[in-house]
Amino acid sequence: MLKLVSIHTSYNNIKALKGIDIEVNKGEIVCLIGSNGAGKTTTLLTISGILKPDSGDIIFEGKSLKNISPHSIVNRGICQVPEGRRIFPRLTVLENLEMGAYSVNSKYQISNFKNNIEKVFSLFPILKERIKQHGGTLSGGEQQMLAIGRALMANPKLLLLDEPSLGLAPIMVSKIFRTIKEINEEGVTILLVEQNAKAALRLSHRGYVLENGAIKLHGSGEDLLHNEDVKNAYLGE
Amino acid sequence: MRQGSRAIQQLKQFKLLLITLLRYCSIALFTALLFLPFKGLNAAGIMFICILALLSVVSLLKKTKIIDAIKTIRIPEIKRFQRFFIPVFLISSAALPFILKDYYIDVLIMSGIYILLALGLNIIVGFTGLLNLGFAAFYAIGAYTYAIANTKIGLGFWASLPISASFAAIAGLLLAIPALRLRGDYLAIVTLGFGEIVRLILNNWDSLTNGPNGITGIARPLIMGFSLAQLEYYYYLIFVFVILAVVVIKRVESSRIGRAWIAIKENEIAASSMGINTTKYKLYAFTFGTFWAGIAGILFSAKMQFVSPESFTFMESILILSMIILGGIGNTYGAIIGAFILVILPEVLREVQLYRMLILGIGLVLLMIFRPQGILGGVKGVHFRS
Repeated sequence: MLKLVSIHTSYNNIKALKGIDIEVNKGEIVCLIGSNGAGKTTTLLTISGILKPDSGDIIFEGKSLKNISPHSIVNRGICQVPEGRRIFPRLTVLENLEMGAYSVNSKYQISNFKNNIEKVFSLFPILKERIKQHGGTLSGGEQQMLAIGRALMANPKLLLLDEPSLGLAPIMVSKIFRTIKEINEEGVTILLVEQNAKAALRLSHRGYVLENGAIKLHGSGEDLLHNEDVKNAYLGE
Repeated sequence: MRQGSRAIQQLKQFKLLLITLLRYCSIALFTALLFLPFKGLNAAGIMFICILALLSVVSLLKKTKIIDAIKTIRIPEIKRFQRFFIPVFLISSAALPFILKDYYIDVLIMSGIYILLALGLNIIVGFTGLLNLGFAAFYAIGAYTYAIANTKIGLGFWASLPISASFAAIAGLLLAIPALRLRGDYLAIVTLGFGEIVRLILNNWDSLTNGPNGITGIARPLIMGFSLAQLEYYYYLIFVFVILAVVVIKRVESSRIGRAWIAIKENEIAASSMGINTTKYKLYAFTFGTFWAGIAGILFSAKMQFVSPESFTFMESILILSMIILGGIGNTYGAIIGAFILVILPEVLREVQLYRMLILGIGLVLLMIFRPQGILGGVKGVHFRS
């Protein structure tokens, strides 16, 4: 479904990604793990078009995403939940969700709007209770739910999640991760970036380990979880 | 033992009080010294006492939490009163020219022009969150376009209305294309620079703009061969434009475009990850906002029958910005109220000629202390996190 072919991305002179190859198949959860500065977020930003790669190609459903602006990438069905949630603080929960459906413009999808909102509310019942509250008054976990729900409103085929567990209590983290699994089971492909390597690997079908802007290891989630190197470096065992 | 500790505590409190008092005294003394060279010892003494009293009153108010109360007052959503309020407002403002003297109608006309300007700037600063400190430049472009077209080519008001508005809008677009690469403060500086450039060009291009002397003898608008020379008629013309602006802007605000603007203001990265083309919508905001400045400009020059660069200084831009901040940034009705107050107030204070700007300034400072979100702004007491 999504294929990154030797992607190089840099911030001015600093090379952040040095030839990354990643493949995400339809229906999978794939996770990217790695330490700080390994290039995880850079990879996601490159996919969603906010950063332009220096070389290499990104292919989504057989078509290249190179030189396409971020908003048209959203229209193709890739939706990102940015790091640190970034909900709209002064809009209500409902308005936040409506903004999520912004890229939706075909008639079929507009008629789907109500279904989508119901779906989000069944995934996150707490959002329904807070429907009229300002986004900024929600707790961190609720904001994360809102951010994920907002992304789902765009009917994404591929959901990019950037550290959904950032700054959340352990109980909230496991709740969010369960929901990610549910979303995946409904047919949305997920590319997940995580610091919380253990939980992420348990959840994912496949995983990639990034180090200094290059892929160091890849394999199924199970394999990586039991890999000695991964254990030493990221799982603290 | 216990008595000893209580004494220490009392001493501490006393010390704190003394320090606060000393601080207030020094502030008051500083201000009083500023007055000394101009107004003599007596005025400085009065100033000292007044400021000391003001500061103490403010600090006492802070203790009683009245300030918090004022900050969190929610002016009832106008929506709820719309059905009642809007017809009453429309009828009463339509009836005004029958009751008022010419002088008051004149003031109302000026406030109408400023309402248009505030509405336009509110689109850029209030909805989209792009700070623009050179808004008077677009006002000037609108005004001068009509002035030049009328005096040099003999074009009428209605023929140059679309030209003036589109010239201002195009100028906004052309400024925005390079300037939108910048954000926040840097954008503000560039727009400020643009405002000065336009004013200086108007001041120095003698052959076209007649320099600092300005252009005189601009024609009043005609409707079916009938000149709107009487103030009442001009009042109705402005009235129609203001209503048109409010209706159009309200409709755009609640459309897809308006939603995109608000999303960009709230969080630009999130907006672009929602699939909003942020550059496009920022350009829309700039163009649409400056369009209304162009209309205000042509109305101004047709009313005054005279334009000169002096009417479009940096102070004018700041005044328009103050209007929307006073009314509550991002609120269309707030912009109207803010513009109205800031035009009316100096006229009301004309009695105390010398001090009116001082009073206006103090009023704005007090507003920022007591209600920083503006008159119709939302509740600021709630801390938003994102």
